[in-house]
Amino acid sequence: MQPILKINLSTQIFEEYKIPAEWERDYLGAASLAARILYDDLTADLDPLSPESPLLILTGPLTGTFGPATGRFIVAGKSPATRLWAESNVGGFWGVELRKCGYDGVWLTGKSDSPLYLWLNGTKPELRAADHLWGQDTYQIQESLKAEIGSKSAKVLGIGIAGENQIPMAGIFCDHGRAAGRTGLGAVMGSKNLKAIAVLGNGEIPLARPDKYKKLRVLANRALKEDPLTSVMSDLGSAGAAEYLDYLGEMPKKYFSAGTLEGSEKISGSSVAETILVGKKACHGCVIACGRVVDIGDGEKRKGPEYEALVGFGPNLGLTDPIFATRMGELCDRYGLDLISASGTIGLAYSLYEQGIISAADTDGLALEWGNADSAETLLHQLARREGFGALLAQGSLALARHFNAESQAVQVNGLELAYHDPRGASGMALVYATSPRGACHNQSDYFLADIGQVDDSLGLAFFDRHAGAEKAANVARHQDWRTVGNSLVICHFANVPPQTLLDLVNAACGWELDLDALMRAGERGWTLKRMINLNLGLRAANDRLPEPLLKALPDGGAAGYEIPFDEMLSAYYTARGWDAESGVPSREKLIELGLEYIA
Amino acid sequence: MSAIFPSIEWLEDLKEKLNSDEKYARLAKKWEGDMLCVLEPDETLKEPMYLYIDLWHGKCRDIAIWDEIGDKKPAFILKASYANFLRVLRGELDPMQAMLTRKLGVKGNMAVMMRNVPTVLDFVRCAGEVTGEAL
Ligand code: SF4
Repeated sequence: MQPILKINLSTQIFEEYKIPAEWERDYLGAASLAARILYDDLTADLDPLSPESPLLILTGPLTGTFGPATGRFIVAGKSPATRLWAESNVGGFWGVELRKCGYDGVWLTGKSDSPLYLWLNGTKPELRAADHLWGQDTYQIQESLKAEIGSKSAKVLGIGIAGENQIPMAGIFCDHGRAAGRTGLGAVMGSKNLKAIAVLGNGEIPLARPDKYKKLRVLANRALKEDPLTSVMSDLGSAGAAEYLDYLGEMPKKYFSAGTLEGSEKISGSSVAETILVGKKACHGCVIACGRVVDIGDGEKRKGPEYEALVGFGPNLGLTDPIFATRMGELCDRYGLDLISASGTIGLAYSLYEQGIISAADTDGLALEWGNADSAETLLHQLARREGFGALLAQGSLALARHFNAESQAVQVNGLELAYHDPRGASGMALVYATSPRGACHNQSDYFLADIGQVDDSLGLAFFDRHAGAEKAANVARHQDWRTVGNSLVICHFANVPPQTLLDLVNAACGWELDLDALMRAGERGWTLKRMINLNLGLRAANDRLPEPLLKALPDGGAAGYEIPFDEMLSAYYTARGWDAESGVPSREKLIELGLEYIA
Repeated sequence: MSAIFPSIEWLEDLKEKLNSDEKYARLAKKWEGDMLCVLEPDETLKEPMYLYIDLWHGKCRDIAIWDEIGDKKPAFILKASYANFLRVLRGELDPMQAMLTRKLGVKGNMAVMMRNVPTVLDFVRCAGEVTGEAL
């Protein structure tokens, strides 16, 4: 691996951090390797927004190699939203450019007295004043910084106003709207007074067996292009299967309280394709190109809505307008906000308003009625700027619910708002949300796809009915392990690449001779290590829970009447993982079996 | 006694079923588009087979067995091994699972396909119900 550039923003000292060779194979890269690197630094009493709090940006061994959908990288640290392990992964082009500079990561500590940006021109790092950039949105800094450093080819990663305001749902963004959105690491970056990192490199991306790798990647990309899931993602974007998810009752409506909504068919990739789509956009080297380019009637080409934007600012709020979702998605991107958490928290406010727990007296007169788009837009601006009622929302849904003595109403796990995949439509997601190391997240495992059939014999991933219970617990654990592998390499979960193909690519890129078992084991090791970090940070078995509203059956739609047998599922899950039935702590034997003796 | 799958008699049974099934007629009332099922050879089926089905507004207008695709352009082409088609028809393999595990290839307008998932699933139900004996 190439070294990590380590920067103390207090002292402005740069160092090169060399990753111990044995860690590379054990943790693969990116997310799992970040957990290993930060294991000792993440302590229970560490304030995520203090100078001591680390922020690690890390690529994986496949980042930028033109493998199938492998232009991605991750950011990691301690979450200001959950105070647990924080990790978020993002595409675009920035991570590739970083590797071309001769670094595989950037590790930030300390805090600058005044706003700075980092300019990494090849191997030459330089910290520069960023007072003039403070207050700019994540689109504006792209243009400003490229003009300032005199290179249109440079790639910029940075925060918006939400990160500057240290809002615990602020993300870190690159290109135009590519987001490391979840877990609030934008606030950590903001707390360090670091506005952006611009990179420009011209080196080669290292490959252990370049000739072999290049042959393999051509075949892998060709096969990926022919894959039916690719056709859906490419033609229709990440909302390609929205109608099907709606049909299954898996698409949330009215903040998870309804199973159907009049007009919900407009919330889909097909609807976008038939109305506002004018083009597609891809992350580095990706043959899928799930990114949408749309024209919403003002003649401008802009980023189109992904599934989470369509649902979060759509049926979640009783709305069905893709143009509104496009506009809100762009606002979140520009402010540097995690769209899921922002729309989820607004959804909670609407739900509390409907129940009479809050009223117009609390909202500065805003009527938070389902289908009211204007109020949602006003709240989003307020939230990012910490103004008015929005200042309360800026702390996230758990804090908002607690403020009104309605904690059980918040659809979140450990402080992170649920992604828009209702576990009552695909029950595996119940375990995914409850046990994910970063709160209610669908990126640690998009098991809803396994619940509708994306399984694989070679990984031992079997197909269970979408409403099966405890019998699928071990399968969910395996799926999490497999996605942990993906988040370490880093490969996009949208790429339906056969495991053997991915294994061959990894071995050729890294010069290893791993088999699939070893790869899965690395996934399990990474998952378990993050569990241990979270236990150190104060997580307990009582935290492995689903929010109360999801334990009740939906009244209508494709999942009507179904109740998740959560307790049995969780108990089977602990057994499958080798965790103590009461405490949820991995057994010493399990830790030793996974090569985690140092924490056993 | 049901016709053997795959055969022209099976297609005729399917046509009759689709044209008399109320649920299918209701769900598929907006469907417009013909489809070709390409059965790829395996241990049981020695040569590829091309089953053509023309579907329009909840009815089946035409069926045929083609010798080849040639330059014809059906709206959708579904491609799978004979065995996997049969598993889907017998309810042993979920159609969405078949697609997501690369056992069933789908070519055509994905927007139409995804928009009409209930129609597609009900079409599979009808086809399953006329499938008894196979090769
Ligand atoms: S599928 Fe989409 S998000 Fe994933 S790498 Fe490709 S363009 Fe990026």
